[in-house]
Amino acid sequence: MTAPLDGVRVLELTDESAEYCGRLLAGLGADVVKVEPAEGAPSRHIGPFLDDEPGPDRSLAFWADNVGKRSVVALDDTDVVALCAAADVVVHTLRPAQAAARGLDVDALHERAPGLVVCAVTPFGQDGPWADYLADDLVLMALGGSMAACGYGPGAGGVYDTPPLASHGDQAWRTASTYAAIAVLGALAWRAESGQGQLIDVSAHECSASMTEWHLMTYLCSGGVHRRGPHPTLTAADGRQVAALNPDFLGPHVFAGMLRMLEDEGVAGELSDPAFADPVHRAGNYREVWRALKRLAARHDGETLYRLGQGAGLPWGVIRSPEEVLDDRHLRARGHFVELEHPELGRSVTYCGAPFVAHGSPWVMERRPPLLGEHTDEVRAQWSAGTPAAGTPAAGAPGRAGAAGDGDAGRAR
Amino acid sequence: MALEGLRILDFTRLGFGAQATLICGCLGAEVIRVESTRFPDAIRVMPPFVPEPGERGEAFGAATLANATGAPSANRGGIFYKYNTGGKRSITVDARHPKGLALLKDLVAESDVVAESFAAGTLARWGLPVEVMRELRPDLVYVSMCGFGHEGPDTSHVTMGPTAQALTGLTFMVGLPDRPPAGWSFSYLDHVGGYLGAIAILAGVIHRRRTGEGQHIDVSQLEPATALSGALLLDAMLNGRPSRRPGFPSGNRRAHPPAAPSGAYRCTGDDRWVVVSCRTDEQWSALVGAMGAPAWAADPRFATLVGRVEHADDLDAHVESWTRGRDRYEVMDLLQSVGVPAGAVQDAADRLERDPQLAARGHYTDLGNDEVDALPLEGVPFRMTATPPHTGGALRRGPPCLGEDTEAVLGEVLGMSTDQVAALRVEGVLS
Repeated sequence: MTAPLDGVRVLELTDESAEYCGRLLAGLGADVVKVEPAEGAPSRHIGPFLDDEPGPDRSLAFWADNVGKRSVVALDDTDVVALCAAADVVVHTLRPAQAAARGLDVDALHERAPGLVVCAVTPFGQDGPWADYLADDLVLMALGGSMAACGYGPGAGGVYDTPPLASHGDQAWRTASTYAAIAVLGALAWRAESGQGQLIDVSAHECSASMTEWHLMTYLCSGGVHRRGPHPTLTAADGRQVAALNPDFLGPHVFAGMLRMLEDEGVAGELSDPAFADPVHRAGNYREVWRALKRLAARHDGETLYRLGQGAGLPWGVIRSPEEVLDDRHLRARGHFVELEHPELGRSVTYCGAPFVAHGSPWVMERRPPLLGEHTDEVRAQWSAGTPAAGTPAAGAPGRAGAAGDGDAGRAR
Repeated sequence: MALEGLRILDFTRLGFGAQATLICGCLGAEVIRVESTRFPDAIRVMPPFVPEPGERGEAFGAATLANATGAPSANRGGIFYKYNTGGKRSITVDARHPKGLALLKDLVAESDVVAESFAAGTLARWGLPVEVMRELRPDLVYVSMCGFGHEGPDTSHVTMGPTAQALTGLTFMVGLPDRPPAGWSFSYLDHVGGYLGAIAILAGVIHRRRTGEGQHIDVSQLEPATALSGALLLDAMLNGRPSRRPGFPSGNRRAHPPAAPSGAYRCTGDDRWVVVSCRTDEQWSALVGAMGAPAWAADPRFATLVGRVEHADDLDAHVESWTRGRDRYEVMDLLQSVGVPAGAVQDAADRLERDPQLAARGHYTDLGNDEVDALPLEGVPFRMTATPPHTGGALRRGPPCLGEDTEAVLGEVLGMSTDQVAALRVEGVLS
């Protein structure tokens, strides 16, 4: 069974901000080669480290975003340019001046390889008044609007006494990386038809700015802006929090399901009064609804409360820490977690796997993260043996039904 | 455009699924939304509502009234306009009418991709199980997107963005130490799930061209989220350092890589903040210079990054004493001018009206339709030199009014005449 990007060569020349893009492309079957300086990519020096001992092959931050890739240590920029010319896709995090200084600007690369897809992921994009500004994920989460809407509600007197908050996990960078992967796939589909490469310009700021759901529309429609404050949560008997959404607006079945659950548990109280069948009455007496839910929460642990709510048709979810997700029976049944051997450590490590279930072209999750320079000789031998085939990975226009071309046919190997 | 010629039959609702087809539309795919007049997409009829033509800019009063009294029409729900750019078209078909189901089958046969975001089993109940669609179109790429997906023991579970965020660790990752998580106040995972839905569509299409084979790709809202916690999971498993521990999550402070000062600092105005983040000694020195080298900054405790991290509480208080009397954008521009990463905490109004970068990049595209004046809408946040994406899609138009393309699509795709369409309409098939 082939993977969608089987045989597609991706050269990755990025700092930690865009490594998640390569991880996604590797999962789709691409041969993702990370080009690193002798001391290793910056992310190899970012913690946490295995057993808290620093070292280029021990960074768990590196592992998380580089699983599935190969690693080459480049001699110099000439070496890097040669590798680029043998690739189908280059993903980098260089600003225009940096790329030019290294001979990696898109015009220079296209002179050698016109079919090359070059994807530049930068904080603010290739141009604009902020193009040279510096950013880490925190700055991007601030400018993009997520932070303004995340955090605790106001304290006494309606004054916010805690700051806006950004999520852990570098979400602005991850969103930019994901959009970069989408754009690369689009560019490969186009190249299959035209043989043409192109430059993709991903602005992480724009990516961050477009992920706050309905906030822009609220402003456009009402002139109001969203202030921060958590969603309603119930505290279960074991102290765990459960996100307890009550989408009453979806129709009368929502409250009917909730009432049945509360009555079965003997905690419905006033809610059994037929007056509560009227949504206007419910809205006006929401405190009673919430009181009944709190009585229910006091009787169960968090995981049970979550399943009780779901049983009643409510979109409830227990708030889990990342490691608690590992025990989820549904994700386990879907084969989400993958064990990969790290032979040099004599152990295997569990990774998050496929982001979706594709039986016809399963997610590729076979290589543990590469040791620094582990594949330098191997990649040089393989990549110099044949030039990339313009037209990979496809034959035929996107809409052509059943145009079953073998994308590898054009590749000399 | 990159996906020109690709036809997607789009049964998505709400945000998650619609985000995926929006992206494909912006890349040039023809996206045909299949909708219903009797059961309109909830985001078409729920507030906030888009003001009447001519209202915007003068007063928001009428819109506010509409927002309080109920849906003025199926074309005024504001959130619909966030998730349905990309030049999507809209047709209305009653799937419960035998002739409606027959129409849908004909459309499936003419489509490259079927995308949907109903609860698992819904399309099958309509008479469109995956086996039937595959018979109609053997190489169909069928992408389903719903909370728990179509496979697994908990497929009956229902999610909204915050549900999936709770279950996958995302909610947990936002908060101050030793308080309950604050979480996200919006459905971040509707976006992320949609991004992975778009990747599923693209991967399915590319795979089909290489092999001739279609497939069903099942996207849930859970799996796209698990890798978003980065190294936290590995740290817990391998180093025995669970995220559920005292002091974590650590607000805006990050241990890896260490930075200090790093966080949001109060500025002038009502609840206005600026983020400053220094990872290096150079950035720290530049910050000290920009602040006018105050005496406190010479404290030996702040001389090294290790010291600054260790004494971050004191450091933050000092930095905030400087930002407090200043405008957030002035602080940002001043610090950026000397090489210190900094950014104003912006809300939606700021992004639209005060962000010169988004304006210069053409982040917003003014698009409307027959019922709504042009609004500054968003598409995909990247550029491509050879195949520029467009927020209006291949057709360069705004989000569709409900059913506005029914006649055109049935004519173009199925070759039906105006009379045939009119007859179906009389029979109630196109509702």
